[in-house]
Amino acid sequence: MIQLKEIDKYIESRFQRVFILKGINLTINEGEFITLMGPSGAGKSTLLNILGLLDEDYAGEYFFGERNIRHMRDKERANLHKSEFGYIFQAYHLIDELTVYENIETPLLYRNVSSGERKSIIADLLDRFNMVAKKDLFPAQLSGGQQQLVGIARAIAGKPRVLLADEPTGNLHSAQAKEIMEIFKELHAEGTTIIQATHARENADYGTRLINLVDGRIETDETI
Amino acid sequence: MWKNYIKISFRNLKKRKLYTGINLLGLTIAIVSFLAICLYIQHEWSYDRMYADYDRIYKFNQEFVSQGESQLVSSTPSSLIPTLIEEVPEVETGTLVFDMSIFSSVLIDAGEGNQEENSFAFADENFFEVFDFELLSGKAAQVLAEPNQIVLTKSTAERYFGDAATALGKALKVDGTDYSVSGVMEDFPSNSHLEFDFLASFKSHRHGKNPEWSPSNYYTYVKLKPGTDVGAFAAKVEEVKEKYLGKELAEYGYSTAFHLQPVTEIHLGDQSLGSIKPGTDIRYLYIFGIVALLLIAIGIINYVNLATAEATERNKEVGLRKAMGAGRGQLFGQFVSESMLLTFGATVLSLLCLYLILPKFSAIGGVPLSTDSLMNPVGIGFMLGFILVVGLLAGMYPSLILSGMEPIHALANKTKMGGGAWVRKSLVVFQFFVSMGLLIATFIVKNQLDHMQNVSLGYDRDQVVALTYHYSMKNVAETMKSEMLRSGAATSVALAGDMPVHIKAGYKIFPGGDNQRELMITGYSTDEDIVKTLNLKVLAGSDLDEKDVSRAEGAKTEVLVPIILNESAVKELGWTPEEAIGKTVNFGFSNASIKAVVGDFYFNSMHEKIGPLGIFKDTGNANVILVKIPAGNPGATLASLQEVWEKFVPERPFNYRFIDQEYAQLYRSEERVGAVFGLFSGIAVFIACMGLFGLVSYVALRRTREISIRKVLGATQSDVLGVLSADFLKLLALSAVLAVAFGLWFSDAWLEAFANRAQVGVWPYLAAVSLVLLLAMATIGYRSWKVYRINPSKTLKSD
Repeated sequence: MIQLKEIDKYIESRFQRVFILKGINLTINEGEFITLMGPSGAGKSTLLNILGLLDEDYAGEYFFGERNIRHMRDKERANLHKSEFGYIFQAYHLIDELTVYENIETPLLYRNVSSGERKSIIADLLDRFNMVAKKDLFPAQLSGGQQQLVGIARAIAGKPRVLLADEPTGNLHSAQAKEIMEIFKELHAEGTTIIQATHARENADYGTRLINLVDGRIETDETI
Repeated sequence: MWKNYIKISFRNLKKRKLYTGINLLGLTIAIVSFLAICLYIQHEWSYDRMYADYDRIYKFNQEFVSQGESQLVSSTPSSLIPTLIEEVPEVETGTLVFDMSIFSSVLIDAGEGNQEENSFAFADENFFEVFDFELLSGKAAQVLAEPNQIVLTKSTAERYFGDAATALGKALKVDGTDYSVSGVMEDFPSNSHLEFDFLASFKSHRHGKNPEWSPSNYYTYVKLKPGTDVGAFAAKVEEVKEKYLGKELAEYGYSTAFHLQPVTEIHLGDQSLGSIKPGTDIRYLYIFGIVALLLIAIGIINYVNLATAEATERNKEVGLRKAMGAGRGQLFGQFVSESMLLTFGATVLSLLCLYLILPKFSAIGGVPLSTDSLMNPVGIGFMLGFILVVGLLAGMYPSLILSGMEPIHALANKTKMGGGAWVRKSLVVFQFFVSMGLLIATFIVKNQLDHMQNVSLGYDRDQVVALTYHYSMKNVAETMKSEMLRSGAATSVALAGDMPVHIKAGYKIFPGGDNQRELMITGYSTDEDIVKTLNLKVLAGSDLDEKDVSRAEGAKTEVLVPIILNESAVKELGWTPEEAIGKTVNFGFSNASIKAVVGDFYFNSMHEKIGPLGIFKDTGNANVILVKIPAGNPGATLASLQEVWEKFVPERPFNYRFIDQEYAQLYRSEERVGAVFGLFSGIAVFIACMGLFGLVSYVALRRTREISIRKVLGATQSDVLGVLSADFLKLLALSAVLAVAFGLWFSDAWLEAFANRAQVGVWPYLAAVSLVLLLAMATIGYRSWKVYRINPSKTLKSD
């Protein structure tokens, strides 16, 4: 599904290049649940950003299916980005001015989903995460775990094939974290490809493959 | 989608109160000013467009050419229009208006004693055919058809008869002659160049019975048939002129021409032409238009600056939305809808404000304005277009910046935002350039106005009162004069043809002998007491006295008429004052001897240089009695003057005007420009300072932590002020330099219109720049004080 070839990412400083990623070769198949692990600064987030088309400033080749990202026009890339990827952040990154309902609605608006369809999708998601009663609250009125649930609902509202999660449980205590991971497991069972970056070894157990990054290189890559 | 945009915009605006408040207030003030100026310009522009066939109505102006000098006047002979109607088939109809107020006031008696009226005209029977003013009673074709008919305007009818409906058929006396009210018309609209209280049939006037080709005292209007070629018509007018006037003019070495002026161009056209109502110099409309646009620009700039400064705060939101798939266009739409919403809100608020302030603004602008002209399809369309344009202009740049941010930077919370800084800086410079520039212009205008009010005119204008003189008073004038002097209410009294502030009559003077020069000279017909009354300075010779003959007597008896020339006149004739005394000259085709030379004084507005002036005795054309009153208690003095007046001319109302007030009237349009400049430069400074406050607030917010650390390290309040103001002060200094450059140009350009210019000096520049700098520093100072007072422990612990 996704193939990365010799990906380098570096920062040019005055005297030398500081590599954040170096020589990354990675093939991701549809339906995998991959965990990226490694110490801070190992390049986990950077790799996720590159995978999610949020960062285009790197060297090397990125194939999505048969197609090379570099050879796509901006418009195609934007469409690919919209239709295939969902994002979940450590700090939830909900829009403070929007209610729960509206936060989930936002990606659908950008995909020009009709109003009736939007309603039914959001209703399903709220139902699934037991948030129906909270749909008119603002993020500040929710606990961290609830906010992250909204974050997930928002990420999967557009039915992406790939879900990217950067430390999704980093700000949560263990009970909440467990709940989130269970949801990931369910989504994975439904066929969604998931790539998560995490510090916590226990989270990796939910996945199918564990990649260890050290200093911007893939140290180990094993199937669990 | 749009519903969503608007909803989010609304919440965003609500959340950031300072930002929204500054923008809303700034935009509202700017839009109020803009709309008020637009209404004013529209009013001036709409002049004489309310007649049904305004595009076919023309006014004639007459040009006289003699010895290479040409003079254009707005009046024509009374024969012109009857002849054209008779002989030129293109003429549908035409009318003649004879404005009496040019010559003298009129006494109206509707049974309750005489009232002095100054807005009285005669018009011929076609008047209402050419100008379709609404008649409340009477028929258009009949109301001015017979002698001794008079049409009143509605408010005049109410004034005299209490009710416009009952006025028809009532009798009134005009200067003792009986008239009957043949119709009542709506008041003349404020945007018509015609404005009278009374319109009497021209047939009632002694000149109305037999049209003549001389004198040229009448305004002539012609309505051409539809589709007439104006050029061809003008050629036919030329033929008519040749036919009737050609031979006579050729004999005297004159030539004349009748020029057509579209009726819509009278108000904004050549201001040197006489007109019924003072016109408006079209350049002032342009200036006001530019000021209006500048104010809107300043309001927009506030928005742009605050929105881009604030972009830092919003990059997280932008990054998120991008991560969720927002396209640049969609984000652009969202941010622009925010500015649109704000503009819309500001416009609605502006309309409310406009309702409240319009009466006040009308007074400053000197025209009645109302929001009615905005409350129609065109007006509403204009407003919607306006909202769209302003909203887009304000929102475009910030939206481009915001929507163009890279999500990766945004999400990584890298708050550094290099882009837009220099744009913001240039915009701040522009804002303060405009504010300071307008303020400098205001001060320069004010300086000149003060100068004109305070400069020595060469005569005493204080304590001089002008009373209306009418030729019917000629038998009592002398005794009344001595009675006034005897009563102590006057120290000197003189009859005169004009007020000294504006002497109009043109004459020619030929010095005799080997001096072949011929001069155009202004003539002032008075009596022997003018020099004393106005306290003119006699440079040589001796003042006129009772024994001197008047010009009228001189013409009959061939006696030399003694005249007084001013210094400019003798200088132009090539003499010193002493040499001039006793010389014989031909003045206005009668022989005169120079009896005295007086120092120059301003007998016209300071737009013109002091020209040659000849003063001679002739009370036949007198219009005013100039009374020099003793200093102190003018109320009692005027009361005793009135007592004397009522003893001699009880049938005429006692009306007085102070000369210094009349003098001030000369500069009404300049006063108005000054007032408008003053008002709007104040507004510009205010809006710009508000924007500055917003910007400084954001800078302060971003640097709160830095300032706290500085404070911990021992920074004083003034150090903090220095930190916050250093960058802005540089920008303000640049604005000041530009504004001073503009001011130098402006003072040259504007003062060019005055023959007597005030020294500008440095104070307008210094005052304007330091005033704005002071306000800006106060703005920054207040903000920095607030930041300084924040307890460092608060800002530093959260790290």
